[in-house]
Amino acid sequence: MSPFFFYLFAFVLIFASLSVVLARNPLYNVLSLVVAIFSLSCLFVVLEAFFVGMILLLVYAGAVLVFFLFVVMCLNLNAISFASAAQSRLRWLGGLAGLMFASSFGLAMKSFMKAQAMEVSSVRGTIETIGKILFTDYLLPFELTSLLLLIAIFGIVSLAQGALSTGKETDNI
Amino acid sequence: MITLGSYLALSGIIFSIGLVGVMTSRNVLKVLLSLELLLAASNLSFVAFSKFNGDYAGQLIVFFVILVAAAEVAIGLAIVVLMYRRLSTIQADELRTMKW
Amino acid sequence: MVDACLVWTAFFAPLIACVLITLFFLKCKTSSSLIAIAGIVISFICSCIVFTQIFQNDPPAQLQQSLTWIHIDDLTINFGFLMNPLAIMMLLIVTGVGSAIFIYSRGYMEEDPSSPRFFAFLSLFAFSMIGIVLSNNFIQLFIFWELVGLSSYLLIGFWYHKPSAADAGVKAFMVNRLSDFGFLTGIILLWSLSDIGQGRSFQFTDLVSVVPHIAPHMLTIVALLLFCGVIGKSAQVPLHVWLIDAMEGPTPVSALIHAATMVAAGIYLLARTFFIFEPSATALTFIAFTGAITSLMAAILAVAENDIKRILAYSTLSQLGLMVMALGLGGPMQGMYHLTTHAFFKALLFLGAGSVIYALHHEQDIWKMQGLWKKMPITGTTFCIGTLALCGIFPLSGFWSKDTILALAFENNTVLYLIAALASGLTAFYMGRLFFVVFWGESSDAHHQGHGHEVHESPAVMTCPLIFLSILSAIGGFIGIPHFLFPQEAPEGLNITVAVISSIVALLGLGFAFNIYGKRPSSDPLAAKLGGFYIVLKNKFYFDIIYGWYVDCFQQTVAEYLERVEKEFIVRLCVGGITNLTRNAGKAFRYLQNGLVQFYASIFILGVVLLFLFLMKSFALIIALSVLPLFLFLWLA
Repeated sequence: MSPFFFYLFAFVLIFASLSVVLARNPLYNVLSLVVAIFSLSCLFVVLEAFFVGMILLLVYAGAVLVFFLFVVMCLNLNAISFASAAQSRLRWLGGLAGLMFASSFGLAMKSFMKAQAMEVSSVRGTIETIGKILFTDYLLPFELTSLLLLIAIFGIVSLAQGALSTGKETDNI
Repeated sequence: MITLGSYLALSGIIFSIGLVGVMTSRNVLKVLLSLELLLAASNLSFVAFSKFNGDYAGQLIVFFVILVAAAEVAIGLAIVVLMYRRLSTIQADELRTMKW
Repeated sequence: MVDACLVWTAFFAPLIACVLITLFFLKCKTSSSLIAIAGIVISFICSCIVFTQIFQNDPPAQLQQSLTWIHIDDLTINFGFLMNPLAIMMLLIVTGVGSAIFIYSRGYMEEDPSSPRFFAFLSLFAFSMIGIVLSNNFIQLFIFWELVGLSSYLLIGFWYHKPSAADAGVKAFMVNRLSDFGFLTGIILLWSLSDIGQGRSFQFTDLVSVVPHIAPHMLTIVALLLFCGVIGKSAQVPLHVWLIDAMEGPTPVSALIHAATMVAAGIYLLARTFFIFEPSATALTFIAFTGAITSLMAAILAVAENDIKRILAYSTLSQLGLMVMALGLGGPMQGMYHLTTHAFFKALLFLGAGSVIYALHHEQDIWKMQGLWKKMPITGTTFCIGTLALCGIFPLSGFWSKDTILALAFENNTVLYLIAALASGLTAFYMGRLFFVVFWGESSDAHHQGHGHEVHESPAVMTCPLIFLSILSAIGGFIGIPHFLFPQEAPEGLNITVAVISSIVALLGLGFAFNIYGKRPSSDPLAAKLGGFYIVLKNKFYFDIIYGWYVDCFQQTVAEYLERVEKEFIVRLCVGGITNLTRNAGKAFRYLQNGLVQFYASIFILGVVLLFLFLMKSFALIIALSVLPLFLFLWLA
């Protein structure tokens, strides 16, 4: 049973991410990413990391990607044409770099073999188990991330504030 | 037989796709989305290691990564909106005042 | 006991005088001359006191004191003095004759507006010369050797507005520099050979014990190289050309530097370091013949000169040749004895000539002077004493010293004796010529019409030194100089044969001169008598012309070629190449910053890939994959 689900969700994930990169319509990009996140979450469940899988769905697909959708809708992107710029040649460099990066994984054959030989453990990432560790060993990072979120809110508010007060003229970029 | 190697290979593939997306997208929003893909691939890798090594630390790191990614996306999108207001476009090529 | 403080005072007094004049008194004529005179007189007094201290004991005392100046591993250079009888005698000559000349030049340079500069340079020269006399090691000697050359350059070209004077200064310096190259090579070679277990040394006292251990042929080479320095400084053939033109400087300069002291520095060097030359018979023979040839050639050339100072310059050359010959024959005592008496009467002659020049308002052609003895009695008398001393007439000092040299030559090498005797005869002839043309007979008022006023004797400040020096020239043979110079050597008796022959030769020369010039013809009859040979003499045996041709044709082309090489290759290609490379590299790398963030990201990822490949140690892939993006980038940019 396990292999079937893995391959199912793996292929969905791959196709969805390809769609994120290759689709033309920005809306399709965002929605493909939602699908990808969903399949990723399922993979997490296959790996018995239940808590993280749910958090992924809630936070990521639920909040972050909805935010993306808001922005896509707000900017009315369908009306914007993507004329081919004069700098299209430089993008080939990016493609080449990505290709080289991918192919360099092939050099890691030895460690890949090693990884293949590993045994699966009985760790189950339930709320209880994760919670136990989160609030004892990793308490400080947990608190600090809340601070991080606060700072992020400050940043956004100040960015938006500048835009609001001076209208189109803003130098906060 | 699904081993750690399979998960890592999958993670590698997703990461490469995301990388290509970051480097070649003309649309700034697409770049941000591809960034999310990168993070997702890393998260998968972490969780896989966590499962196969028997250490919860991997999953906890994923928890924090998700949080940070949320914050980063928020700010990134705010910047995209500002850029749209200023340049009336979201083509990445238009941001090129830091030229030689 | 010798007091070291006195020696250091004598050493540095003229330097302090020079510094004081340069810093504070460059505008005051009287103060500068007084400070300079004070400096040299202080040195003289200190030298006298040290002289008494040295000779109080028997055997005479000796003192060496030095500070370590440089000490790096094997290289030790000290700064100090070595005071022994030879040094103190030379010091007495330098400071004594120097004092007389300083006092004299106060009068001579009265009318010159830049006389403070003159006294500053003169004091600098005095300091440098005392440095040569007192130095106890070769490097310090060399430093002061060069300083003396510098002072000479500054003083010869003192009237630098005159192109001939400026050129003469440069010529003196260049010729000296040439000889100093050989000198320095010899010093360094000697130093490199001077290791006998206690490390290498430049000190004279250490080298005395080193010399017996050096291989004979190396010692000859060292001796010949050191002699190169003497050739330049003491104006031997073939580097004698600068001394004649050095007469462009003021007369006190000619008296002090180019007669009494600086040119004698070479002789002094030979005497001081004679232990290096003594074992090498080849070097000694070479030295002796160089001296003899110089002596004869200068004497021949003097016969055709018409400038009073140049005649005296040639006679200096001739006497220097004699001294060098004496040293080459193994007689440092004889050479130094003649140096001492020569300092007396040559300075006297030059100062007398200066007195004449001053009285006639800088006229130097002897055919324009006539019968000056009546008008200038003191100058005339002292000049006469000096001339007789130079010719070697009994009982003046020159007779005694010259005869010791001739006796040495007579006993050792007949050829050299004949050359020296011939030179002495010619000396008597041309000095007689000079004296009879300038001072003898009736003075003609027609000659002085151009000057407007009467010719009269020079002021006391100029005649007192003349009298002082003439007394020394007269009694110099009787005060026992050889004993003071080299106390260890037994005094030699007089060689009657040589004395008689040389007296006859001298009298013959004077008689010849009187015959031709006693009646004071209006121009030189020798021109007609000697015909073509006279023209050769006028051209100074073509030395200057040959050297000039060498410099113009050969050396200049080489120098210009090298300059072109430097300009084109080194500056344009190497240095310019580096700047161009940097600039072009900058221009190329500029395109990497095109403001596109995704481009930066691509480069970033390429770097990560390369790093990964490097860590995985797949070099072929690294090379292949790093060249590829480069081409791509070039295509894209």
